[in-house]
Amino acid sequence: MLQISPIEIKKQRKFIVVWSVTFLIAFPLLILLGLLMRMNQGEVIKIGMDKFYMLMTLHGLGMSGLLFSMSFAALWYLISTRYAKLNIGLGYFVYTLILLGVVGLAIAGLMGKFAAGWYLLYPLPFKGATWAAWSTGLSIISLIILGVAWLAGMLHVIYVLAKEYGGFTNLLGWQYLSGKEVKRELPPIVMITTISLIPGVIAFLAGAVFLIMNLLQYFEPSLTFDPLLLKNLVFFFGHTLVNITLYCCLGWVYALLPEYTGREWKVNKVLVYSWNATLFFIMFAYFHHLYMDFVQPLPFQVAGQLASYFSAIPATVVTMFGVIAQLYHSKIKWGIVPVAFLIGVAGWAIGGFAAVVDSTIAVNKILHNTLWVPAHFHTYMLTGVVLFIFGFLFYLSHTKEEQYKDKFAKFGFWLFVIAGHAFIATFYSGGMNSIPRRYADYKGIPISYTHHTGALLAQIAVYCIIALLMGLFIMYISILIKLGKKKPITHIHLAEG
Amino acid sequence: MVTINLFLTIQKSAAIISFLAAVLVVCVVVFLISTSSKEEDKTSVKHKVYKLRGRYFLLLLIAIIALLFLSLRLLPYKSFQGKADEIVTVVATQWAWKMEPGISDKSPAQFTGSNEITLPSQKLIKFLVTSADVNHNFAIYNSEGVLVGQTQAMPQYTNEMEHQFEEKGDYKVLCLEYCGIPHAYMFATIHIK
Repeated sequence: MLQISPIEIKKQRKFIVVWSVTFLIAFPLLILLGLLMRMNQGEVIKIGMDKFYMLMTLHGLGMSGLLFSMSFAALWYLISTRYAKLNIGLGYFVYTLILLGVVGLAIAGLMGKFAAGWYLLYPLPFKGATWAAWSTGLSIISLIILGVAWLAGMLHVIYVLAKEYGGFTNLLGWQYLSGKEVKRELPPIVMITTISLIPGVIAFLAGAVFLIMNLLQYFEPSLTFDPLLLKNLVFFFGHTLVNITLYCCLGWVYALLPEYTGREWKVNKVLVYSWNATLFFIMFAYFHHLYMDFVQPLPFQVAGQLASYFSAIPATVVTMFGVIAQLYHSKIKWGIVPVAFLIGVAGWAIGGFAAVVDSTIAVNKILHNTLWVPAHFHTYMLTGVVLFIFGFLFYLSHTKEEQYKDKFAKFGFWLFVIAGHAFIATFYSGGMNSIPRRYADYKGIPISYTHHTGALLAQIAVYCIIALLMGLFIMYISILIKLGKKKPITHIHLAEG
Repeated sequence: MVTINLFLTIQKSAAIISFLAAVLVVCVVVFLISTSSKEEDKTSVKHKVYKLRGRYFLLLLIAIIALLFLSLRLLPYKSFQGKADEIVTVVATQWAWKMEPGISDKSPAQFTGSNEITLPSQKLIKFLVTSADVNHNFAIYNSEGVLVGQTQAMPQYTNEMEHQFEEKGDYKVLCLEYCGIPHAYMFATIHIK
């Protein structure tokens, strides 16, 4: 059986602390960009359209990249301290490359005013651009650097796990389906990591093709590409990245929740079928982003709705019922970690349902690119992924007793959750009222109701974001005080069960 | 006189259903937290939860199949469209809409249409939508600010969208795909007589 030395665990703990602090610094800064955008839409401040779209680009790229990075880093930590020896040198290499990519994007945005949106919807970066031409090139190169970093990290984790567990198919749990006795138990987190990272690798390769095509056109403007093909590539990349961010988080919910309930959560046939089906659905759900491109082949459109609908089966029947089986009559002590996981799963369920509604083609023709879209993805990112991350951070920084007793942090947590849902409600109301998304402001809209409703909802959102930031600040105090303290290695084992 | 619009749009229906789903989720969370102080053997809990899960699975499967059966017949695509009474060519540019009755034989770059057009009510109109530069989105709003139909305007492609305007009045066209800095200021008007 694998032995991981205390020295190795210490090194990995130091690495996750570096990641956690990076996350804690970047996260509120990116929220501030969102706050400025909503203030401009609410006509509270006037920042100018060029700055608005620059902030929108940085906010979108920054948040999706940061949340994926932190989710991946937490998986890395749990795997490297329990299940397989991951190369810490490579970890720091990935981290450094990510920082380099982020610096490039920040320079392109803040100095070059690059504002093509996170998705650089081809051919927008090259036509009618008001931003500096060099900022387009720098953004593309920075995104390639980020892609290389993530790819290297993901491939390393899959390779090491495959070696440790006797082959790639074992990581998918297929040995449980053969009917033979399973020689080595597969931890759910290992299976979920694999199932999240495989589509991740494929999506990043698609993203790489997209970025290289853009780079070619940047250097040779006479080149042109098929915009429908590039839209497929970029949405396959973007949708999958966001989707697997959530699944990475579920990996550690499966691993950590049993430590609080005292009930084991093991891989079995149902879990294998369910997660392998999820792998399949992740690959095809992105088609729902192209419903309004009527020229997209019909089978792809239908596949988008089928994959989106059927993905609800493994998500709810297996994982959500799994959470219920963990918690029901468990006599659990509600420390902040299990609460964060439960409320995070609830956010995932609420956002997931709204996503399924929007993935219905007949409904999407009315909701597409209205505020309904940011509504549903903010639900499962802000009140799903982010809560899972904070659950993990409290797990990392607090002992079980501290998690239970820290009423100050709990207050901050609930303030964040309530303000977060209120903030998201302004987006849903916007979707219900047909308010367009990605509008710097609503002043120009020649329909009075749409202009005033959009601005009013944005103003309400501003108050919600301020309350949300206060909750965040309270949690920060608690986490940073504890995270900075040197913990004896025995404590780390204790906290990790 | 104050009139209350009781007409349930798709937007409102989506919001109501999603709100009810959210309430259900909150109820489950409250139930789990409020009953967690009791202790029950994990085998007994598993038995209960798995029984419920089996029923839920069947119900969900039936609901998904039924919803797919109903909704996949309401697609906005060409093969599901009827015979149009009128055809309108629409070309999006940075940052204006150009519209003209009939099928245009000009390239999008040479197309000269107007950002206002008059069309009949109660007739099936087919919009042939494309772009001369980047991606845009041709979205039609009624005078009350309700989005009633949309399609992407993508360069090199023509999306065919049909719509029947039930009521007379002025409808506005907004761009719903980010197309550059003045994206939020790209409008047109469709007068329905």
